Amino acid sequence: MLNEERVILMTKLASYEANDGKRNVAIGSYFRSDYIGWQVLKSIISATIAFVVVFAMYIFYDFEFFMMDIYKMDLLEFGTSVLKTYLWVAGAYAVLSYFVYSWRYARAHKSLRLYYMNLRKLSGMYSNNHTV
Amino acid sequence: MTTLLVAKQYIKLFYSKFEIYITPFLKFLLALVVLLQINSRLGYMAAIEKITVVLVVALMCSFMPSNFTVIMAALFVLLHLYSFSLECTIVIGAAFFLMFLLYFRFSPGDTAVVVLTPICFLLKIPYVIPISMGLIGTPASAVSVACGVIAYYMIHFVCANTTVLSGMAEEEMAARFKFIVDGLLDNKEMVVTIAAFAVTLILVYLIRRLSIDYAWTIAMAAGAFVNVMVILIGDLMFDTNVSIFGVIVGTVISFLITGILQFFVFHVDYSRTEKVQFEDDEYYYYVKAVPKVTLARPEKKIKQIAGQKRNKTTH
Repeated sequence: MLNEERVILMTKLASYEANDGKRNVAIGSYFRSDYIGWQVLKSIISATIAFVVVFAMYIFYDFEFFMMDIYKMDLLEFGTSVLKTYLWVAGAYAVLSYFVYSWRYARAHKSLRLYYMNLRKLSGMYSNNHTV
Repeated sequence: MTTLLVAKQYIKLFYSKFEIYITPFLKFLLALVVLLQINSRLGYMAAIEKITVVLVVALMCSFMPSNFTVIMAALFVLLHLYSFSLECTIVIGAAFFLMFLLYFRFSPGDTAVVVLTPICFLLKIPYVIPISMGLIGTPASAVSVACGVIAYYMIHFVCANTTVLSGMAEEEMAARFKFIVDGLLDNKEMVVTIAAFAVTLILVYLIRRLSIDYAWTIAMAAGAFVNVMVILIGDLMFDTNVSIFGVIVGTVISFLITGILQFFVFHVDYSRTEKVQFEDDEYYYYVKAVPKVTLARPEKKIKQIAGQKRNKTTH
């Protein structure tokens, strides 16, 4: 026989799984360090690609002067300054990513805790039904 | 006021009933307006200017996630620019690429603002965006709004300098490239607008979260005032030549529009009908969960009781 309370709870859980829960369950399947580490790594890759694009634009912007000065300039010093800038950019972006994804993991975890609590409640309803 | 409240309840009831059709239709409408505006502003590639192409793409946008509309809009802009000038495509393409790469990894939910901001600029009501996003978003939405402002000013720059760019010889590729980059980076009006929008958005967000009466209305009024002030200070400092009258009138109109939006959209929980499927050991469940809507119908007040006339019947 249909249990009305159980159907309502199952509907709420199914609705959560179909909407917000989908993303949260995906996040919850990772350990905290794995999730944040993976996201920070993706951010560093993004920052590297972005830096390459901006650097290419910078070179192209002053291409004539750059080609004229390339034999006069200290290439080692130029390379070091570019590398330093890159490390600053990638580092800052990685730190920002770390904070954002730590917060997102904590939020997803909190939301999932309620979801799992409701799942346990549902499981309890089935157990009670079988024992009666 | 009662009539408005009842109207709000009717809209809520209508939305919960027909959400399955309303959301795709609104997405279709947004994509259609955006693509038509891009075509009318840039319109360098005849192939994508055809109404059939626009309708097909808008139809695709209606059932895809809202990020798809942003990608399609960016693609249309780049295709038009490719037909006009390769340098423009490279510079604006790089700017779009950086936006997608660095910011939208963090905030995929706000991407619709990037499309809506240029549309509001064209409708002369750009100040609706920071006030609205302050009411419904987070301080991080300031970056999405900034991306929208940058997108608008980039397209505006190309439109305003079409003659200059066309006049430059084909061989002057480096000069054209330099001209575009300088034009985009030295745009002080854009910088002032980004600063004003960011300050407004954060202020509106902070005030609306306060536990005071009429927090939302105070937030909107304070946001509108600060927006005008920052733009005027920016004008004095950087000589951006902004029309002061236009800013004040635009802000007042934006304030009123946001008030209407707040009443009918932001403050209402538009819960929709949901269809979910699940199963247990005994049954398969196909549940349609319809939100409860309490409709406050206006009470009829009896002002005067007319004296009843007795019908005297004679037998």
